[in-house]
Amino acid sequence: MVGLTLVALPVFLLGWLIVYPILSAVLETVFPAGENGARALSLASYRFFFSDPYSLANLQVTLWTTLVCGVLLILVGLPIALYLRFSQGRFAAYVQAMAIFPMFVPSIILSYALIRTIGPNGTVDLILNALGLPKLPTPYLTPWGPVIGLVWDNLPLTVLMLTAGLGQISNASVEAARDVGAGPFRVFLAVILPRMANSLLVTASFAVLGIFSAFTLPYVLGPAAPEMMGPFMDRTFSDNNDPLNALTQAVISFGFCLVFGLFYVRSIARNQEGRP
Amino acid sequence: MSAIPHRPVSSAAPRIAKPFDWAGLVFAILLTLVIAVPLLVVATWAFTEVWRYPSLVPQKFGLRFWSQTLSRADVWEALFLSLRLTAVVTALSAVICLPAAYAFARLKFPGRNLLFLSFLASHAFPKFGLLVAIAGIFLHLGLISTFWGVVLIQLVGTLMLMIWVPVAAFQAVDRRMEEAARDAGAGPLRVFWSITLPQAGPTIAAAVLLTFVGTFYETEGAWLIGAPQVRTMPVLMISFINNQLVVQYGAVLSVMLWLPSFLALIFARRIVGTGAFARGFGA
Amino acid sequence: MARLTIKGVSKSFGTGFAVNDVSLDVEDGELVCLLGPSGSGKSTLLRMIGGFERPSAGEILIDAKDVTRLPPERRPTGMVFQSHALWTHWNVFDNIAFGLRLRRRPRAEIRERVEQALAMVGLADYGQRMTTQLSGGQQQRVALARSLVLEPKILLLDEPFASLDQHLRERLREEVKDIQSRLGITTLFVTHGQDEALALADRIVVMRDGVMEQVAPPDVIYRAPRTEFVASFIGSMNFIRVTVEEGIGRHEDLTLPVPVADGPAVLGIRPEALSLTPSERPRAGRVHRSIDFGTHKLVDIDLLDGTRMKAMMPPETQVPRGLRVELGVSAFHVFRDGAQVYQAGARGSETERRVSHA
Repeated sequence: MVGLTLVALPVFLLGWLIVYPILSAVLETVFPAGENGARALSLASYRFFFSDPYSLANLQVTLWTTLVCGVLLILVGLPIALYLRFSQGRFAAYVQAMAIFPMFVPSIILSYALIRTIGPNGTVDLILNALGLPKLPTPYLTPWGPVIGLVWDNLPLTVLMLTAGLGQISNASVEAARDVGAGPFRVFLAVILPRMANSLLVTASFAVLGIFSAFTLPYVLGPAAPEMMGPFMDRTFSDNNDPLNALTQAVISFGFCLVFGLFYVRSIARNQEGRP
Repeated sequence: MSAIPHRPVSSAAPRIAKPFDWAGLVFAILLTLVIAVPLLVVATWAFTEVWRYPSLVPQKFGLRFWSQTLSRADVWEALFLSLRLTAVVTALSAVICLPAAYAFARLKFPGRNLLFLSFLASHAFPKFGLLVAIAGIFLHLGLISTFWGVVLIQLVGTLMLMIWVPVAAFQAVDRRMEEAARDAGAGPLRVFWSITLPQAGPTIAAAVLLTFVGTFYETEGAWLIGAPQVRTMPVLMISFINNQLVVQYGAVLSVMLWLPSFLALIFARRIVGTGAFARGFGA
Repeated sequence: MARLTIKGVSKSFGTGFAVNDVSLDVEDGELVCLLGPSGSGKSTLLRMIGGFERPSAGEILIDAKDVTRLPPERRPTGMVFQSHALWTHWNVFDNIAFGLRLRRRPRAEIRERVEQALAMVGLADYGQRMTTQLSGGQQQRVALARSLVLEPKILLLDEPFASLDQHLRERLREEVKDIQSRLGITTLFVTHGQDEALALADRIVVMRDGVMEQVAPPDVIYRAPRTEFVASFIGSMNFIRVTVEEGIGRHEDLTLPVPVADGPAVLGIRPEALSLTPSERPRAGRVHRSIDFGTHKLVDIDLLDGTRMKAMMPPETQVPRGLRVELGVSAFHVFRDGAQVYQAGARGSETERRVSHA
């Protein structure tokens, strides 16, 4: 009973500021308040979202960014994690420090850094110019701007989670495979990859959940139109003063992330069971 | 057995050279280019007075923009507001979460596992969508654009870290240590104060520190709920970008705000390095 | 100084019992070992005496004072844990001083008593070390000093040397025995190692599945085990199935007078009670292997029915592999349904007398 008392306050906050808003968002958009304040079932706001070309373009660019970032994160993070797990090389500590470093860089500072680096007349341009090479089209204010920023920002967690997943594969099982004659590539395919499937999926789910509704980096680095769901919701809510459609967009975001969210919950639930 | 001396090992015995860590070198160079260079660029801009295209290095270094930035009233207002806000949120979060974390780690009560899981599960929703849903509630409560509205929305963001990391810290304290203290004559409260808390202390301090720094830079909730009336430091920095103000203002603020928090975070890295975070996120 | 009385103590969990109706008297200054395999309830019993578990039934009395419901901090017991459980955020001195500080002793007295305790366990001058800088054996000595400095009426040791290597374990248990007999402190010692129990104990309590199988001094436990389980758990024992008819136990290789009712029975024979003589009988047992331990030889004999017997022989004995042998028995135990029903041999009668005494 003492236990319940001690957890009461955070549980109340959880209920009031997470569970209730989510349920309320669904209710308010499915049963919107009419002119006279009476509520009736109406899917008009959803019908609008899925027939409005601008909304659909925003959704499309969000899905595209999420997919590209997810793939890039795994492609970049997996080799780094493999290196960190199996190398005793002299650079391992430095590589780990560098890969985890972005965790300590707030996204607003990252935004400044990237604008000055990849933006128009930024450092990349300066270097290309100094080398006598032609300028590249800047990704700043194109969909690639948020992609670069989000990959940068999510790299540490990806590497940490993948390294933790790799940590569960014992040296002995890898050495046993080497012993029976499997080369490094074969070991990766036959021993490491199957046992990593779960942590890869969790890592990807977590990245998707973070990227799908990212706000700061797409807002600062991305194009004004089409924009990702984060800035779109913000503009609908604040600038257009249209909470109904903003909530609709939020519920639609929940829907698209539902599979990943469920997978993530299932995985942490299993993790907790494993620990008394 | 190993005490039996073998023949003396010659100091000139050939050493087996480890193969050079080429993969590590490649990773190190690439990561340095991608991770460190943009940050160095910002740092350089902060101390630059003139840097015109296409020069590779600034034409004129100097501290002129430091004094200009620091003489802006809105910068100081935002800084003090952010500090006040962050202190309130961190203190509230610690007061609310630490007892709960102890309960989750050590006490038995009905629904314990389910409740604990639901805290972790709060990460299963896309964050900004959740913030918009909360903003929908705050709209009815008149909390939009208020200090306490921002406090509440930032508090939500700290719950998970402030519960999960301390729970792990409390669980890591050896129960036998606590029992030994009971055996020596200490009551339950004394055991908590003299044994459990000091043992879990460094990790909990790191969690508090991470919460403080994380809240200080929290942008999305503050922007959605607070802007434009409640202007925290990150919100101010976004508006600098939006208004295309001189580059150096943002650069100066970045360097100024980031260095102290970086030193604090080096201390907190202790718990990141152990993979505690990754496990908390379900890896 | 201190007498421990346990009356009908049980500890149930869910549907089963970790400890089932245990009663035991421990005399002042006695060292009693609780011995049993893991899961036998010996640690649970110890933890109930220390106050870390609440019995589901029964009473625990220290010097005739009921402590069953007292929390650990209010019991006059001192516990040494298997994992030593030193407080790693303090140095050795502070670890030992903590209990004294809780009792608000003057600073000078605390200093003096901590130094005495450290000297007693052979760690004088180690006060300022951090506990993590000590070896496993040193850590366990500090844990012992931490308990002893509070002068508990009852000292409880929960497999304190289990994580140490054999050599260190033997040395530490001699030290503990010395300190214990010098201080005359009533002590309960949990272990799953029979050598440890035989070496240390005034009396041994053999536990199995939460029940006391036998309580007796080490020599009695060894020479007059009350049950088949005790016989098999302490020392090595050959078991062989016989059929009893009219007071004679028969086996293909053995015929012994067994004055019990007719029916099947199990003979228990210690390796040192077996003698071997070469045999011409085709169905006699064969020597499988002989291991020379220097002080004696241990000979494995395979009987035709598949039973393997171990015999302890003088080191000079020559027993080639494959040699057919007849078995001679100088002492044996007879068990039926797990309990001893008869015992014969050199010192049988003497020990039987002492069993009834205990």
